[in-house]
Amino acid sequence: MKSYFLKRTLELIPIFFIISFIIFMLLNAMPGDPLLQMRMDNPRAFAQDPERLAELREYYQLDDPLIVKYFDWLKNILIGDLGFSSQYKISVSELIFSRLPNTLLLTVTAWVIGIVLALPIGIYAAVKKYSVFDYSTTVFAFVGISLPPFWFALMAIILFGVILQWLPISGIETYGIMGFWNVFVDRFRHLIMPAIVLGFIQVAFWVRYIRAALLEVLDQDYIRTAYAKGAKERRVIMRHALRNAMIPIITIIALDIPYFFGGALIVETVFAWPGMGRLMYNAVLASDYNLAINCLMFLAIITLLSNLLADVLYVVVDPRIKLDERKGG
Amino acid sequence: MAFSLKKKYDDLEQEISGLPVNSYNQLVFKKFLKHKLACLGAVVLITLIIFTFLGPLFFETAYDDMDFSAIFAPPLSENHFLGTDEIGHDVFVRIMYGGRISLLVGIVSSVVSTIIGLIIGLVSGFLGGVWDKLLMRFVDIMLSIPLFPVLLILSLVFGSGVFSIIMVLTVFGWMRVTRLVRGMTLSLRETEYVMASKTMGQNRVLIILKHILPNVIPIVIVTTTLNLSYAILAESSLSYLGLGIQPPMPSWGNMLQGSMSYILGTSTGYNPWWLTFFPGFFIFITVLNVNFLGDGLRDALDPKFVSES
Repeated sequence: MKSYFLKRTLELIPIFFIISFIIFMLLNAMPGDPLLQMRMDNPRAFAQDPERLAELREYYQLDDPLIVKYFDWLKNILIGDLGFSSQYKISVSELIFSRLPNTLLLTVTAWVIGIVLALPIGIYAAVKKYSVFDYSTTVFAFVGISLPPFWFALMAIILFGVILQWLPISGIETYGIMGFWNVFVDRFRHLIMPAIVLGFIQVAFWVRYIRAALLEVLDQDYIRTAYAKGAKERRVIMRHALRNAMIPIITIIALDIPYFFGGALIVETVFAWPGMGRLMYNAVLASDYNLAINCLMFLAIITLLSNLLADVLYVVVDPRIKLDERKGG
Repeated sequence: MAFSLKKKYDDLEQEISGLPVNSYNQLVFKKFLKHKLACLGAVVLITLIIFTFLGPLFFETAYDDMDFSAIFAPPLSENHFLGTDEIGHDVFVRIMYGGRISLLVGIVSSVVSTIIGLIIGLVSGFLGGVWDKLLMRFVDIMLSIPLFPVLLILSLVFGSGVFSIIMVLTVFGWMRVTRLVRGMTLSLRETEYVMASKTMGQNRVLIILKHILPNVIPIVIVTTTLNLSYAILAESSLSYLGLGIQPPMPSWGNMLQGSMSYILGTSTGYNPWWLTFFPGFFIFITVLNVNFLGDGLRDALDPKFVSES
C-alpha cells in the first residue's frame, strides 16, 4: 500500500513538469504585453522617459529566451514567490489565498449538495428499477446533463433575484452588514443560488452513475444469497449491496473534484462570486500574466492531486484489487 | 447418403429463405426505432437543422437589421415573434442565424476530433509497446490539464472566429475517444481472426481497416454524439464569456452574453427576460436531444449493452 502510494506520487513529478511546460507555452502564446497595465497606469512617466520601457523589460527579464524564463518561473514557484499581479498591485500568492476560501466555500457546499441529493435519489431509483420514480430520474438526469450552466444560473437570477426578489443576485456579501448572526445569514443567502446551480449539474451525472453501480451489484449472486437467507431488503441493500457499490461511486466523486473548480469558473463569473475562477478569468482577459499562469498551475495541481486521491481511494476501498495488476487496465 | 444430406441442406435453405431476414443495419434501425426518446431526439434535431439553415431564407430580416420602432418588444408582438433586443434586432431571426453557427461549430469540431481520436487510438492500440505507452501518457497529461481555463486562453491565442473556435474545441476534444478506441483495439488485436490475418501475411494497415475499424465504429458513433453535446455547450460557454463568436454575428452563447446587462432591468425599467430565455432554451433543447439520440444509438449499436428501457 505504502509503496503503491509512493509510486503514484513519484509518477506525478514528470507529469507536473510536462503540464507546467504546456501551461507556460500557452500563456506565452497569449497576446498582450505584461507591461501594458503598467504603461496604462502611468502613461506620462513612460512618455517622458522612453528608455524606461527597455529598463523595465530588462528588469523583469522579458527578453530572456523562453526556456530560461520557464526554469525561472519553476524556481520561483518552488521558493513560493509567485510574482506580482499587474492588475491588483499585490502579490499573487496573497491574492490566491484571499480568494481560495471563497471558492472552497462554494465548491464544498455544491459538492455536499450534490452528494446529499444524488445518493438517495440514485439508490432509490436502482432499488425501484423501472418504476415511475426511476423513469423520472432518468428524464431528470438527461435534463441536468443538458442544461447549460450559465443559462441555468441566469434564469435563477431572473426568477429568484429579479422577479421574486428572494435572494441577492451577485457578490458574496452585502456591504455594511454588522453582527455575527446577520453576517452569517447574509453569506448564506448569497451562497444559496451559486451552490445549488453548481451542485445540480453534478447531481444529474452522479444519479445515473450511482444507479448503474448499484444495479450491477444487485445482480450478483451474494445478493440473492442474502435474500434467500431471509435478510430484510433494507439490510441487504445497506449492508451487502451499497458497501460494494460504494467503490466505483467514491472514485467518481473524487475524480469529479476538478470539474467543480472548472464549473466554478462559469458560476463565479455569472454570480460575481469573488473566487479563484473569476480571478483567473479576469486575469486572462486583462493579460495579467503572473496571476493567470499561477492560477492555471494551481488548478492543474488540484486536478493532479484529485486524480491521485481517486486512485488511492480506489485501492483503499476495494481489497480485491492487486496493486501490480492494476496498471494493465 | 451424400444425396440425402444435400437434399436436407436444400430443404433447410428453402425454409430459411422463407423467413424474414434482417441485415445488421436493419436490426440496428429496428432497435433504434424502439427507443422513443431517441426517435424524438432525431426528429427534433433534424427540425432544428432545417429551421436554422433554411429558415432564414423565408425571412426578409437579416440578423443585423434593426427595427427602431420596436425596441425591447416583448415576444408575440407584431412582426417580432420572439421579441427584439436593445437595438431592435429580431430575436427569432437571430436565433436562426445563431443556431447555424452553434450547430456548425459543434458538428464540425466533434466529428473532426472524433476522427483524430479514432486514428490515434487505432494506431496506439495496434502498435502497442513504446508507442502505446507514450501516447497514453500524453492522453493522461492532456486530460489532467484543467480544460475550461485552457480553452479560454486558446481562444485568446487563436482569435475568435468560427474557424479558431472549431480548432480550439478539436485540440482538446479527442482524448476520450482515443482511450476508448485504444482499449477496444487492444482486445480485438488478440482475436483469432486478426491473428489469422497476421499469419497470412496481411498488411497491417489493411488489418486495421478491414478487421478492427468496423468493430470500433459503433462505439465511435456514440462517442461522437457525446462530443457533439459537449462541443455545443463549450462553444456557447466561450461565446457567453465573450471569447467565442463575436457580435454582431450571433451565436446562442453570445446572445446570452448580450442580454446580461439588461437582466437587472435597471436600464429599461422592466426585465426583458426573453433575451436571456430563448437563446439558452435553444441550447438546452439541442443538447438534450443530442443526448437522447446518443442514448438510443448506444442501445441500438452496441451489442454488449443490453437496453434497460
